[in-house]
Amino acid sequence: MELSEYVQSGLQILADSGCFSPSAYTVLLQTAFQSLLNAQADQVALDHPVLKHIDPTVLKHCHAAAATCILEAGKHKADKPTISTYLEDCKFDRERIEQFCTEYQKNKDTLEIILGSIGRCPLHVTDVSWRLEYQIKTNQLHKTYRPAYLVTLNVENSDSRSHPDVSFSCTMEQLQDLVGKLKDAAKSLERASQM
Amino acid sequence: MLLVLSEEHKEHLGFLTQVDSAVVGEFGRIAVEFLRKGTNPKIYEGAARKLNVSSDVIQHGVEGLTYLLTEGSKLMISEIDFQDSVLVLGFSEELNKLLLQLYLDNRKEIRSILGELAPKLPSYHSLEWRLDVQLASRSLRQQIKPAVTIKLHLDQNGDQTTKILQTDPATLLHLIQQLEQALGEMKTNHCRRIVRNIK
Repeated sequence: MELSEYVQSGLQILADSGCFSPSAYTVLLQTAFQSLLNAQADQVALDHPVLKHIDPTVLKHCHAAAATCILEAGKHKADKPTISTYLEDCKFDRERIEQFCTEYQKNKDTLEIILGSIGRCPLHVTDVSWRLEYQIKTNQLHKTYRPAYLVTLNVENSDSRSHPDVSFSCTMEQLQDLVGKLKDAAKSLERASQM
Repeated sequence: MLLVLSEEHKEHLGFLTQVDSAVVGEFGRIAVEFLRKGTNPKIYEGAARKLNVSSDVIQHGVEGLTYLLTEGSKLMISEIDFQDSVLVLGFSEELNKLLLQLYLDNRKEIRSILGELAPKLPSYHSLEWRLDVQLASRSLRQQIKPAVTIKLHLDQNGDQTTKILQTDPATLLHLIQQLEQALGEMKTNHCRRIVRNIK
């Protein structure tokens, strides 16, 4: 794991029991994890009474450093020895390292999910809705008498800003073709997962 | 159901009695060609010169014929109804037979042309798919994230558009299940009854 000067110095301050008492350390650590994992968390969390006597600039520095360290560990799927070694280099004592690793282990899966969901991808299909209709006539043509499907693919943009759903009509044969191809894809997925 | 022809319409068609059947056949061919590709006024002038009448008369004749054919095709009237509708024009037996034949020969094609005028949504053309596995991203390394990338080809008013979409394995299975249910609907008693009874 390689982190910047800023992060390293922040972690070193966090390691110092002169600046951060054990309870202050615990609170800051938990705050750092919560602010990353909990979408509703905000800066108010740094207002905990135990942290009151610490200079706000220092608090922010250490909070940012801790959060960055957590993210880097998550990004590289770092294991316990790697994290321990790094924190040791930042002058963390055994106890604080243990605490960090325990907290990290607890939140590892959620962290990975969040990190994995960041990124761009083509429009992502989340659902499909369909409508079956029986056409009887148009103003230009009477007695058409044929079934038709209207299919809407519900689509999510990675920014979940817009939902540009894709709608199209098709005949029964075309829908059979579509479903056939999707089944081919699914079968191919199954075979690939067994390799 | 009979076709109702206005006086003006009957007058326009009246011209057909003054030419021989080959010409009527030719007019019929022109009428269908115009339905396929759009009108071409030059044809009227050429025919007008050959037959020694004004091009207006030719135009009305062709248009009258076109209307006869499209209305008949639109309503899908039976042979008998078509014959009865034309009877009122007082044409010769030969001309009546000719018109009927023209109607029957071209009905299917005219109906498919008329069908294209209906309001339409983009329609399905085809689909291509690809299996991908995401191994890493800027924010997370060492991933194994399978995904299916789909290229959906749609037609709208003659233009082909393409949409690139992606989905995960679970959603893919869900899509297949939902769409199979949709296909199954046509086979239910409810739908079968409706299809049987609306004719």
